[in-house]
Amino acid sequence: MSVPGRLRRIGWLAALAVCTALYLMLHLKVHSVRSEVVRAERQIVALEEQKLLLETEFETRSNQLQLAAWNRVDFGYVAPSAAQFLENERQLASFGSPRAPGAPAPIRVAGGAGSEAPAYPQLISPLTGEPLDEALVEPERPLGAKLAEGSGAMRIPLGAVVGSASR
Amino acid sequence: MNAFAIAVQVPAGRVQLVDVRRRALLLAQLRMLLIGAVFLALAMVALLRIAWIGVVEPAPLHRSMAAALLPPRGEITDRNGVPLARAFPAYALWFNPAAMDDGGPPLVQSAETVAARLKAIFPDLDEYAVARQLASGKAGYLRRRVLPADANKVMALGELALELPRETDRHYPQGTMAAHVLGYVQDGKGYVGMEAALDERLNDPSRRGEPVALSIDARVQGALEDELNRGMHSVNAVGAAGIVLDVDTGEVMALASLPEFDPNHVDEEGQKYVFNKVTNQVYELGSTFKPLTVAAAIDTGAVTDLSRRYSAAPFPVSGYTIGDLHSMGASINVPEILIHSSNVGTAHVVDELGAARMKQYMADLGFNERPYIELPARGFPIWASGDWPRLRAMTVGYGHGLAVTPLHLASAYAAMVNGGIWRPATLQKVAPGHVNHGRRVFKASTSARMNQLLRMIAVYGTGRNANAPGFRVGGKTGSAEKPGSGGYNRTSLVSTFAAAFPMDRPRYVVIVMFDEPKGTLASSGQRTAAWNAAPTVGRLVPRIGPLLGVLPDETRDVDLTDLKPLVGDSE
Repeated sequence: MSVPGRLRRIGWLAALAVCTALYLMLHLKVHSVRSEVVRAERQIVALEEQKLLLETEFETRSNQLQLAAWNRVDFGYVAPSAAQFLENERQLASFGSPRAPGAPAPIRVAGGAGSEAPAYPQLISPLTGEPLDEALVEPERPLGAKLAEGSGAMRIPLGAVVGSASR
Repeated sequence: MNAFAIAVQVPAGRVQLVDVRRRALLLAQLRMLLIGAVFLALAMVALLRIAWIGVVEPAPLHRSMAAALLPPRGEITDRNGVPLARAFPAYALWFNPAAMDDGGPPLVQSAETVAARLKAIFPDLDEYAVARQLASGKAGYLRRRVLPADANKVMALGELALELPRETDRHYPQGTMAAHVLGYVQDGKGYVGMEAALDERLNDPSRRGEPVALSIDARVQGALEDELNRGMHSVNAVGAAGIVLDVDTGEVMALASLPEFDPNHVDEEGQKYVFNKVTNQVYELGSTFKPLTVAAAIDTGAVTDLSRRYSAAPFPVSGYTIGDLHSMGASINVPEILIHSSNVGTAHVVDELGAARMKQYMADLGFNERPYIELPARGFPIWASGDWPRLRAMTVGYGHGLAVTPLHLASAYAAMVNGGIWRPATLQKVAPGHVNHGRRVFKASTSARMNQLLRMIAVYGTGRNANAPGFRVGGKTGSAEKPGSGGYNRTSLVSTFAAAFPMDRPRYVVIVMFDEPKGTLASSGQRTAAWNAAPTVGRLVPRIGPLLGVLPDETRDVDLTDLKPLVGDSE
């Protein structure tokens, strides 16, 4: 066999050996990662079981009977009465009184609707092509429903004045 | 050659020695080689084995996480996801006298010392009983459901005979709450409540990973049981039952039967109370039937004029005289019949309605079959078949001669107040838009009228004690004498209050029932429903209303202005 031929053969063999070695290394690596995953999963299972245990213990210690017993002996909380609920803005406003003549100007609280706040997109009536009155689109809803939407506290528009008769 | 000669002259002993030495060397080398070869072979085998494990064999066979986390029995939660029953991996404390296996005593320390040390770990342990059990040398459970922290402490006692086998147990975190709804599990099989009804679903490996949501709301259930318990003890009743039902979907929000049992620990004492009074026991529920009778009469047009007055004098019918507890005056109209709970007036209304139509309405309300609910224990009503004679229809009109479960009554009231649709009750959470189909029993107009009348009873009549401010409660009292041997028992009553709220747009029906209440100081010496069941509803509704999305509002109510003049100033 000629020298270049032998060299080429050795080269091929070397390449094969290197590839096999690399393959073996990769294979071992994959296996080790897989083992780690299994270990992690086992850990997760153990933690989940622990969580279940703690959660169950918490639920057991704070069960309704226990809470009722504590309330009877220690706290004495009672169900809220009708006066403690607000149905809507109108009911809230009913607690206010009209401004008397000569009263100081109402304190205005800075709201979120500053200059940088984007304007609300207005609904255009498909019939007239004019912007719809928002009050028509969104009928009055109970306060509870509004709060439940997660918009935070009830928003009183800037510049709202209770009983604007004096203006 | 000389050399040869000399060599030859070497004494035979020496030659032999050289030979032996060479042979020994050879042997040693051979052995070395052999051992080396063995080691080499071992090393090769080890290497091959490593290569085999690393390359050929799959990664350590792992159970999937889902399989490991799959509970042995599915979890039951309330409608908001609060766990009511779950498989609970816990330890048990088992006494195994054979563990030492040395012919000596089973315990290292004395039984009394071990019991005392166990008592230090479990403060509620019966030290004397445990000491006796340990001394007896009989194997058995000392305790179930031991927490891991406590299990470690028991291990630290160093007693081999105290074993801690791990077992999956069914645990009810809420204790006795909703026991009749849930039932209990023994040896992997569910009994009594939803554990029995859902047994297959809870055991199915493909579905048990998902918790089953019941329609029960744990907070409402807790409030109902609390108030029922309080009411029951304040009037010395032998039992109590209560149900809160969503009128639009038929979902049971709470269902309680007292005395309850502890599903965590069902013993003989508990077995006595397993019977469910709400779905299994039938009662003659008395005057709570009167609104249903009036609704049927209005619905058919038998009663069109609510101001029409009927005679209130004792009413003789086929050899039996229907009377009232106290005089209602000379005549009485329909709103007054309900407000003062007049048997005579109701009998006249039934007369107008006719026995056949009365029976048809009672059948439409489901009073001729077992109640619709998932629970396995459902009582069959005492229902007279065939044509009802006039007297039978009249007694049914005021709640006698027909015995149904409190659940029947709740479903019927729901149909009466929700616009007239009767729906089967369910204990499974109903997704929006998947409400069970119902059947129309009353017209919507009848239902609206009945809402007014029920509200009037709570405002002007026998239900005043249930009138929680702001919640617009409406309802009807019923105090029926229990049938005993040879007629009705005058001294033992079943007092019921059937209510709905808020009456301007009814959403929930509440039934509270006491079995054999006594006249006590708490009930002003009275035994009737107005003094025990009605106040319980009056205390319960403010507790559950806000939880169920009904906010109290003093500014709303049903419009009663058209009916108010008919009852005069009867307050």
